Order: sequence, then C-alpha cells, then structure tokens
Amino acid sequence: MKRILTALAATTCLTAPALADDDKIIVGFATAETGFMQAYDKPAQDAAMIRISEINAAGGLLGKQIEVVTADTKTDRAEGAKAGLTVIDAGADMVVVSCDYDFGSPAALAAEGAGLPSFFLCAESIKAGIQGVGPNSFSASVLAAVQGATMADWSYSKKEARTFYRLLDTWTEYNKGICDGFDYMLPKLADAKLVGEDTFLNEDASIAAQITRIKALPEEPDAIMLCTMMPGAVSAIKQIRAAGINSMILNGSGVDGSYWLSAVPDLSNFFVPVQGSIYGDDPNPDVTAFNAKYKEVTGGDPSTQYVYPGYVMIDVWAKAVERAGTTETAAVVAELEKMNAEPTLFGPRTFTNEIHHQNRARYLIVETNAGKPGVVDEWTISEAIPVADLMK
Amino acid sequence: MMSPSVARRTFATPVLLGLLLIAFALVAVAVGSKPFNQTIIDIFLKVIFVVGLWVFVGNSGVISFGHIAFACLGGYVAAWTTIKPMMKGMSMPGLPDWLMQTEIPYWGSAIVAAGWAALWALIFGSVLMRLSGIAASIATFAMLAMVNSIYSNWESVTAATSSVVGIPIIRSIWPYLIAALISVFAAWAYGISRHGLALRAARDEPTAAAASGIDIPRARLIAFVISGAIMGMGGALYSHSIGIVTPDTYYLGLTFITLSMLVVGGMGSLSGAVLGVLILSTLIQTLRWLEAGVQVGETTFALPGGVQEIALGVVMILILMFRPAGIMGNKDLSLPQWAALETKGSQGPKNLKT
Repeated sequence: MKRILTALAATTCLTAPALADDDKIIVGFATAETGFMQAYDKPAQDAAMIRISEINAAGGLLGKQIEVVTADTKTDRAEGAKAGLTVIDAGADMVVVSCDYDFGSPAALAAEGAGLPSFFLCAESIKAGIQGVGPNSFSASVLAAVQGATMADWSYSKKEARTFYRLLDTWTEYNKGICDGFDYMLPKLADAKLVGEDTFLNEDASIAAQITRIKALPEEPDAIMLCTMMPGAVSAIKQIRAAGINSMILNGSGVDGSYWLSAVPDLSNFFVPVQGSIYGDDPNPDVTAFNAKYKEVTGGDPSTQYVYPGYVMIDVWAKAVERAGTTETAAVVAELEKMNAEPTLFGPRTFTNEIHHQNRARYLIVETNAGKPGVVDEWTISEAIPVADLMK
Repeated sequence: MMSPSVARRTFATPVLLGLLLIAFALVAVAVGSKPFNQTIIDIFLKVIFVVGLWVFVGNSGVISFGHIAFACLGGYVAAWTTIKPMMKGMSMPGLPDWLMQTEIPYWGSAIVAAGWAALWALIFGSVLMRLSGIAASIATFAMLAMVNSIYSNWESVTAATSSVVGIPIIRSIWPYLIAALISVFAAWAYGISRHGLALRAARDEPTAAAASGIDIPRARLIAFVISGAIMGMGGALYSHSIGIVTPDTYYLGLTFITLSMLVVGGMGSLSGAVLGVLILSTLIQTLRWLEAGVQVGETTFALPGGVQEIALGVVMILILMFRPAGIMGNKDLSLPQWAALETKGSQGPKNLKT
C-alpha cells in the first residue's frame, strides 16, 4: 500500500501547477493526441500553431509571446474533463477543445467553470457555444446547417435544380445538421420541390432499398442532398452512381478531400461546400500560400478543409485580445461578440451575444468532374439562419 | 447467520479500505492540483462501480457484463432531475411535466438514481437470476445492449446519442469519497449478512446450498438489486463529475475496464475489488504521465502515445499469470493479529464458478 502511495505522490509532483505568468499569454490545447479524434484535431491544431508562430514572429500579442500548453483527451470524455483542468492549471488564458461537440464539451465546461473562454477547433453543432456550454464558449467552424442551406440555395440559383431528393444518414448530429439547413432553405426557394426523402445509417453496407426508391421516381431528381460523412459516404456515393443515377449530388464539407476519390473513379456532378480550397485553386492566393506553409511545417498538404478553422480560431481570438488590450475573459468575449463580418483568410466571421458560431458564411463550391475536384464558384446564403431554426 | 462475531472479525476490512480511500482523498487535497483532483474523483467512481459489480459477481460467482446498464440508468436520472427545467425542455422535450419541473441537488439525484436502478435490477433480475453460468452472463450482456439501444434512440426522453448538457458539475472530492465509502460499507454489510453468506454458499456448492433450503434465484436477486443500486448511484455521480451524459459512455469501454479491475484485483474479496481499482488506476495514471513526458534534468523522457493501453494489457496478463485469482485472491485486508484467526476460521472458497 505504501508503495502505491509513494508512487502516487512521486508522480503528482510532476504536474505541479504552473502559475499564470504576466509576461506571456498561454493558449491551452485540451485536444486528442491519441484515439480517433486525433485525425480531426491534429490538422486544425497544426494550423492554429502556424497562426500562433506568425503572431509571435510579428512581436507577439499585446507585446507578449504566446505560449502553448497541451493535454491529451485520449478521445475520452472523462479524460477530456481532466485535460481541460490540466491546461487551466497550467495557466491557460484560452482553452482550445476537441473538434467534436461530444468530445470537446467536458473540457469546454471545465473552462466555462473556471471563467475562461473556450474554442471548439471545428465543431459544427449549435451546441458548441452558448447553447451547449455557456456564454464564454465559441466554435471556430461554420454550422453544418449553413452547408446544407448553401448547397440548396446555390444549386437552385446556379444550376437550376428544382426537384430535390433528401438522403440522410442518421448516424451523427452533424449529418442531421446538414439536412436541417437544407430543410430550412428549401421552402424559401420558389417552385423547388422535395420529391422524396429517405434515411440510412453510416454503417449500412448496402443502401439498395433507398436507391430503388429513387429509381422508382417518375423522373430522376435534379439534385440529391446527401447528408452524410466519412466513412459511410464513399459507399453511398459509389452505390448511387453504380445504379446509374446521375443527378447532381450535394454534400456537406465532411466529404471534402481527394483521398477517397479513387474509390469512385470518374465521379462527376458532385458538389461540396468548403471554407477554403486544398486543391491549390483558392480565389485568395493567401490561402494557397498558407497551404504551402502548412506543407512546410507538417510535411504534408492539408487533407481536407477542416485544417482551416484552427487558423481562423487563433486569428479572431488574437484580434479580440488585441482590441480588448487584455486577455481578461469578459473583455475578450465582448470584443469577439462585436465582430461583424470580420475578414479572415477563409471568409468573414461574425459573432453575436446570441450565437458564437457562424449561421451564415461564405462557402467555396468545389465541383468534382471526372474525378478531379476544383473550385467552381462561391456562395453566401442571403440571410443568416435564425437561431430558433437551429435549435430544433 | 449473521453473528456479532462475524461483524467484529471482519470489520477491519471496510475500515482499512475506507482509510485507504481517505488517504487518496487527502493526497488529492495536499497536491491541490485540479486535474489530479479530477483523477482521484475518477478513481472513486471506479471504486463505486467495481464494488457494485463485486456485490453481485463476487458473491454469486456469475460474471455480469450488464451492470454498466444500471450506471447508464443512474446517469440519466441525474440528467432528468438536476438540469434546469428550461434546458431540459430543449434537449429532452418528451419528459413528463412533473419531471420537467423537478430540480433537485446532486445528492438527491444520486439517491433517486440508486432507487431507479434498483427497481430495474429487480425487474430484470427476477427473470435473469433463474439462469446460471454462462447463460446468465450472456443474458446480462443482452440487458446492457438493450438499455444502450433504448437510451441511444429514445430521442425525446434521452436526447438519443447527443450529449445531454447542463448537469451541475461537482468538482469537490468529498461527495465522491462519501459515496465510495458508502458502497464499501454496504458491500461489506451485505457480504456478511445471512443473504450474502447464503449466496456465497450457493456459489461454491449449489446443490448442498439448495438442499439446505437456500432459494438460489432469490439470493442472487437480492445481490443483483443491491449492486444495481450502487451502480445507479455511481452512474449519477459520474454524470456530475463531467457535466454531460451520453449512452456510449456507459457501454463496452466502461464494462470491460471495470470487469478487468475486478478480475485483476481478485473477485473473491471486497478488498480485491477496491485494490484492483486503486492499483490499475495508479498504473494507468503513471503511464499517462510517462506518455505526457517526464523531465529528468535537461531531457524529457516520454513514452510514445498509446503505450498506456498496451502496457496496461501486458501488466494485466502478467498479474493473472502469477496470480490467477487476482492480486488479493480470496483474502481480505485485515489487521495482522486477526489475520491468523481469519485463515483458521473463515477462509474463502478457492474455486469460483463463472
């Protein structure tokens, strides 16, 4: 018994709390370094680190260097709470939490409890913010609903799509969010019609039944709104095309990236909304420059657009700190809430005291044609999706 | 038969285990670091779960894969009873009105959770306890899968797979310590009660026990209900420790880690259950610190990420190689001068049936 206690006492000395220092600003990353969330957190965190080193190279924030402390959530909720507390104890002025709401919220709640601002790396649920954590919590990405609404609006206006089919994978909140946005937008489009809807599950090996119902329609729909994500998305897309359905397929950002395209050779008429392009053809040359920098730092190109929110996060937070002249939570949150269409590398960002998330955003539209993805357009929905519609 | 001498003879066990838990709490207070405090809270929660599991598994010899289902029931009771009514309306609109308006303190939710889980243990148990051996184990697993399925899909009442937030977070270590102490003492009291002794007799010699008039399904049912209540209380407190609840928290991961802790500690004794948690948790924590990196002089030593899971597996295999009945085997912690008496008198059984 004594041995256990000695071991325990010995190990605890290693985590003696570091006190907040006045000559530096500390950003705490309570994110997944191991487990499946690591695949989502790491790229966005790398992008955040790039922005931090840029700021430090330019003389720091409020004349102080930004330092980083990290703790591993192990893709586990209970560990997430500990990781949050660990970075808070290490003196964090701002806490960055895991990409996903479910896995990031325990650390965000810990930050909220300590009166610190928190940012989800790339959560796309309305709950990642005021609604699900508290008044000091933000998300760096754009709501899933905006993606669905953008695709409906854009395909209606630019591609003359009038008949839509809605295919929802009920696996995650994210998927439901995309379709919620689509549902919000569709009635606003004159003579656009929903000709059918269906659901499936990400793990379903076959969606033959759903496809049969699409084939049974008197006419092939103009567009299929496909609310799904990896890994099930690939199989669903492959099956739709193999069945000879050539309608345009509209998606959320979750299927961005070219890593899976070889599984569906010569995919065409396939559209994805992205915050920035990883394909080297972003209308903003600075994004392409960022991609090069990312490759230099991490040794690989960004694999999806989910790298970018990490960069935006540090960018908007640092601006708020600069304007507030302090890292004090209330002042920083107030400055963030004043941001209205604040320009960033990846489109304008707005926060209000009602919503700490983007319910409207500029999206680039990436079309995959004969297996080659590329930016073809950009689109911003005419008005922000009301919070009441997002809370349904 | 519960005689006062049994109580006196074995009273040292819960006291020693309790002191050990108090020592852990004091270390947390002395260290004063928030994450370490949270780690100790986590250990206390595991103690509650594993002790709850032991009450049934240890005494009946039937391995249960389903007890985490009771923790799930308890976890959602915390969500139903402690979240502010307004927030509840948004995430769980299907709750009945009276429950929607209910807002009770965390300790109240732990008590209600224990009762709710006990009720379901009684309902499930009256069917399951007629089975024995591997059939009973698989049936408990089916119960876990069933509860998980219901809680993952009943959108209006459990918010399905979405995290339910707004559960008040309790970061003080004392409520968890008290709950762990309650479970240890309850488990001990049950173990030496006539029902506990009857169940252990049925575990070792079912035929003889039945012939002596022990109603085995009933004896098992009593243990099942008590252990369900302890798990329910633990589940509610688990929700309060991180502030959110989802059905997949209470599924296979937690089931297997608690079972391994019980088996490694030794499921023949209460001390085995508690020490299994304390030893494995300490090991896990130490490996995590090593993963995070240890500063020795100028250099930092760090294990590659993910080594913790591998090392834990290896250590568990080693322990079971050398001590197949777990670290404690069938022995309980007791004071030295009483140890002799203990081995002469009430030595536990050697072979457990699964």
